[in-house]
Amino acid sequence: MARWGMVIDLDKCVGCQTCSLACKAENNVPYGSPEEHIRRTAPFWHKVFAVSHGEYPAVSLDFIPMPCMHCDNPPCVTVCPAKATYKREDGVVIQNFRRCIGCKYCIVACPYGVRNFNYKEPEEQEYFRPDPPPNRDDRGVWPYPRRVHGVVEKCTFCFHRIDQALRDGKKVGDDGVVPACAEACPAQTIYFGDLDDPESQVSQLLASRQWVRLREAMGTSPKVYYLLK
Amino acid sequence: MSASANFVTIEGRSRGYRALILVLAVLTLAGFISFIVSYVAGHRLFGSSNVIPWGMPIVMAIYLIGLSAGLHVLAFLIYIAKQDRYREVIKAAVFLAIVLIFGAMVFIALDLGRPEKFWRLFMLFYLNNMSSMFAINAIFYTSYFISAVIYFIALMANMKRFSMVMGMVAFGWAMLTHGGTGAIFGFIEARETWFSSLSPFEFIFAALSSSLALLIVLLVFIYRYTGRNLKQELVSSLGSLVKGLLVGLLLLMVVGELTHIYAPARDAILYMLAGPYSWMFWTLQIGMGAVVPLVILYHPRAKQSTRWVVVASVLVVVGVFIKRFYLVIPGLAYPLHLYPGKMEGVWGAMGSFPLEPAEIILSVGIAALLALVYALGFKYLELLPAKESAEAKTEEKAPQAT
Repeated sequence: MARWGMVIDLDKCVGCQTCSLACKAENNVPYGSPEEHIRRTAPFWHKVFAVSHGEYPAVSLDFIPMPCMHCDNPPCVTVCPAKATYKREDGVVIQNFRRCIGCKYCIVACPYGVRNFNYKEPEEQEYFRPDPPPNRDDRGVWPYPRRVHGVVEKCTFCFHRIDQALRDGKKVGDDGVVPACAEACPAQTIYFGDLDDPESQVSQLLASRQWVRLREAMGTSPKVYYLLK
Repeated sequence: MSASANFVTIEGRSRGYRALILVLAVLTLAGFISFIVSYVAGHRLFGSSNVIPWGMPIVMAIYLIGLSAGLHVLAFLIYIAKQDRYREVIKAAVFLAIVLIFGAMVFIALDLGRPEKFWRLFMLFYLNNMSSMFAINAIFYTSYFISAVIYFIALMANMKRFSMVMGMVAFGWAMLTHGGTGAIFGFIEARETWFSSLSPFEFIFAALSSSLALLIVLLVFIYRYTGRNLKQELVSSLGSLVKGLLVGLLLLMVVGELTHIYAPARDAILYMLAGPYSWMFWTLQIGMGAVVPLVILYHPRAKQSTRWVVVASVLVVVGVFIKRFYLVIPGLAYPLHLYPGKMEGVWGAMGSFPLEPAEIILSVGIAALLALVYALGFKYLELLPAKESAEAKTEEKAPQAT
């Protein structure tokens, strides 16, 4: 069984947020107004935030694209009372909306703040998307055509794409089928693949460059790696 | 033992009692409407956000669990410490404990994003993940509720030996219940302000002091408005219990906060202790909620005066509420530090928590429901000891719970 992971090259990221938008369009993540964004009730499965170092004129800026870390030891899975969030065999941490009771304990327990509560009933047809789009056959069924409010949502590593590709016998990762954020990135910042396969692009990158994982001290062992500038 | 056979109901026909029932019923209805509206529209009507995901219902729930659990210390005092003077108030106290734990469970259910799925919390070992403190606490809450109800029935039926056994069981479960509630917070490593193995004990001490304080306030008011004579000695002995527990609570808080501050990752705790909302901590929680009551309860004359003990008790009840509020809401506000450097924009900003009307009305409504049930309890259940001298029951009024 593969162990899916992501490698993000911070040297290439320009902070254009294409990945965030591609994620919203792919997963039909509800739209949030600027007010909701400031109040932090707008859901973002994938976000890019800026980190500054120093004061003008000696200042630098890092852009950190941030999906769910899909930890090997996910605290959210430990605390979920309803078995609504669980780790699949391939390491992807999934949220099951039908089981989720909306207690928000996982949001509290997540050290990365990647979990989002759905605060309102999403409007129909928020994004322009020809439905079904002409060339969607290779990407599997649309996973979230409709939403309910009151449950917790998060990044899924686009598991529907992975599963469909495996069913069709296609290659997943590297130059094959990848999550929407990796596919959309104009700078090819995001790499996706099997961390257990020494031949995969992600393994090669991790072997050749310096990398960090976020909040390593939490012991969560994330599967999203960042290559340093 | 002389009093235990002579428990009576109140008549409940006075103008004041009816007005109280009416007001509480209207507030309950408002709370129910507020719940329906927020259920249909979603939690966007609440003040919570992805930074501070828990709001007033959780504050109220853990506060009420504490108030409920602490009341069972009376059973411990009666049966183990052989303090018979508390027997005359035990029925009113146990009924209050049942009403409060019921209210806490209602608050937890209503805080869920999908309250219609609350039953999933009780699918123990089958649909539940038993490593979750929430699922473990579901065992504690239900068994505590059931044991308290059985204890209450045993008390009402005057089964002496069985009520003693059930009293001890209820006391044990009460401590487990509130310790478990503390563990919900204390076991979360991701939140520096919460992560502490002292949390369950701190919760238990806060529970015991606040619930005994609430009991003092309620008893003094009920006894006064029903024309009964509450022994001054009972009030001051309860007051000295509150005093001892408050000292214990302060000690645990000092040790806990010092541990947090000693570690280099102290930004979030400094925000709580010296940030913009730290006045709430220092003046309301420490000053008003602990230091002032301690001064009153240690004062040689004030501790003998019912009036001053009631003042101290009200301060403790409010202070522990502020403590819960401060733990849940400003305790989550400090942003998670995801990457070295200064996080720009909303992702690095402090969480905000507007007090939204839907949430406030909901909380007040459920509290009014509990007060309503408690007030009706005095009319239909034999909770109060019979009057010693005057048999006339003309003037009565029921209490305002929480």
